[in-house]
Amino acid sequence: MTTYLVRRLIQMVIVTILSAMLGYSLLYLAPGGPLLFLQQMQNTGQRRVTEEDIVRLKARYELDLYLPIRFTRWLAGFPAGPIHIGGVNLIPPDTVVGCAIPGQVRLRYPDGTVEIREEGCVRAVTLADLAERRTSRGILFGDFGLSQQIARDRPISDLLMSRLPYTIQLMGVSTLLAILIGVPIGIYSAVRQYSRFDYAMTGITFVGSSLPTLFMGVMAILVFSVLAKDAGLPYLPSGGVQGIRDYTIPWIGTVQAGSALDRTLRFIMPCAVLTFFNIASWSRFIRSSMLEVLRQDYVRTARAKGVRERAVIMKHALRNALIPFVTLLAGVLPTLVAGAAVTESVFNWPGMGRLLVDALGNSDYTVAMAILFISTVLVLIGYLVSDILYTVVDPRIRLT
Amino acid sequence: MATTTSTPAAPGAIERLQPRSEGQWAVVFRRFRRHRLAMASLAILIIIFGASILAPWIAPFPRDDIGLNRTRLPPMSVDPATGRLHILGTDHLGRDFFTRVIYAARVSLMVAISVTTLVAIIGSILGLLSGFFGGWVDNTISRIMEFVATIPDLPILLILSAIMIQNADLIVLPTWIIGPVAWIMAVPNREATQVALLILVLASLGWVGVARLMRGMALQVREMQYIESARALGGSNAWILIKHVFPNAFPPLIVAFTLGLNSALVSEVAISFLGFGVQDPTPTWGNMMGFATSYMFNHPWMPLIPGLPIFLCSLAFNFIGDGLRDALDPRLKL
Repeated sequence: MTTYLVRRLIQMVIVTILSAMLGYSLLYLAPGGPLLFLQQMQNTGQRRVTEEDIVRLKARYELDLYLPIRFTRWLAGFPAGPIHIGGVNLIPPDTVVGCAIPGQVRLRYPDGTVEIREEGCVRAVTLADLAERRTSRGILFGDFGLSQQIARDRPISDLLMSRLPYTIQLMGVSTLLAILIGVPIGIYSAVRQYSRFDYAMTGITFVGSSLPTLFMGVMAILVFSVLAKDAGLPYLPSGGVQGIRDYTIPWIGTVQAGSALDRTLRFIMPCAVLTFFNIASWSRFIRSSMLEVLRQDYVRTARAKGVRERAVIMKHALRNALIPFVTLLAGVLPTLVAGAAVTESVFNWPGMGRLLVDALGNSDYTVAMAILFISTVLVLIGYLVSDILYTVVDPRIRLT
Repeated sequence: MATTTSTPAAPGAIERLQPRSEGQWAVVFRRFRRHRLAMASLAILIIIFGASILAPWIAPFPRDDIGLNRTRLPPMSVDPATGRLHILGTDHLGRDFFTRVIYAARVSLMVAISVTTLVAIIGSILGLLSGFFGGWVDNTISRIMEFVATIPDLPILLILSAIMIQNADLIVLPTWIIGPVAWIMAVPNREATQVALLILVLASLGWVGVARLMRGMALQVREMQYIESARALGGSNAWILIKHVFPNAFPPLIVAFTLGLNSALVSEVAISFLGFGVQDPTPTWGNMMGFATSYMFNHPWMPLIPGLPIFLCSLAFNFIGDGLRDALDPRLKL
């Protein structure tokens, strides 16, 4: 078990670094970015942008460093300055690690056209220069750097932290509700297979799990906010976490903006949509794994021994039927971060998924990469947790 | 399929002994026909698909015909200026909804079909090779599959499409990709780049599921005796793979294909809805939904117009997948 865990952890680190590299190269290839607004300013003539401005901004976003150096600084905060061990410089501090002002070469073609090409370097950046800069501790150690657009120059971790409670609230409550409702439905459907209840539930869950959450969300707003309000019935506010001003709902009365009631009313719809979707897919899952187990010999043996039907189902069948469910639950972990981007956008819920959408809409790719990185790590942790849980719930499985 | 050993018998008895022979696909189709919801779904899909193919001929208006004096008309209303009927009303720029919805069907359905086809091809090739040959081939392909599977789908899809689509002008795709895409989707060439990019993004991340399925099938089929006899007859690996392994792994691939159509459609709709997919003058159900939702408080019918086709197609793909699964499963005796 220990050797298995060690091997898995090493694998996880390798995969994490690989996916970080993939993510970073995407980030590097993406045009736009923080210098785009400088160009726009220059083009519109709003303000004169001097060469020094560009140098300063490039240094701030590390755009003047060579790609491998930028990557290691982003990943692990290395190198943060001259590297020396015990007072001895390992690498000379005047080693060039980037270029602040690229040299320009004027090329004059025989047909008279002139092309300006960047070549060589007028002012280089050395290792010693790095010591004066803010160096992030690296995303491996939880420092995601600064946001470039959405909340300019604020640490990304602040941004993530401000969104995290909403996502956890939404995903946590809906996951819990879905388990509490979905699992019993699945069990009951399997035990009473081909009953009226089973037919109704398989029908509903089939539709529920095949419909996109986008459609369900929009329809929920249409029915419970728009049409209910038009009809003079009690309605649910359509989005956001809390209202800006007070509003009146028929039968309930005036709701104060920001009160507990206001927050609850706004929470109902996004939560219900996600819960419904999860109930639909999980109860189908439980039903089929329960049906599988109920056909096993040991269930027949238990019945033949005269064990009460309730005990057969709850003790002999359910416990085994829940084994594959463990993997499903571990799969929930990564969706905690950005799994509900669509639902959060439809309901204007300020969670992590919404943050990802906002970041991409504003070309703030560093924020997007941070979210991608966190969810990748969570996927890996989810896999590991589910493998370990498997050995806990099913003693036949040994990890080697 | 059905053969009986013939023993000397009275004339006419042989015909009685031999049941009417029926090909495998005839059996599948006969079983599929019993699934009423699947048949209804097929009919609905054929209607929507037919309308999308015929879009340039049956559309009453030009696709991008903007009219700012007739915005957001409700369904079945007549434009007072021209006296022409807008069956499904008009959108926020006064463009005819019916026209746009059938053009959008063309883009959305064709994106789903092309993505799923690409996914099926890539997934089958990699999965079959991996399962059939084993060894280092299997090891390499399995590691790649594991790696792609660890990248969370939704974030990477959004990031890739946002980066690509926002800079679609900078990415030059070869004309042999753009040309067919533009022709199939009935969009101008410059709009086709976005659509082609979206197809590539969705396909490049979606193949792992199919590859896993086909790998499992290949592992199973590889051990069968008919493979051994094919080998004994001197069949080469390629011949065995194409002639024996692939046909036997085909039925689950069809089911995966149908269900894959749904997930590709849903992904395209979600990405375009969030604004990172196909951009406005080119209609898709997703971006139409995105605009419609911002006007839904005063014009509640607007989100229904792209919403209902999404709803119908999504359900239809699932019902057909379900029906095919039942029809292809020989353990189920109907």
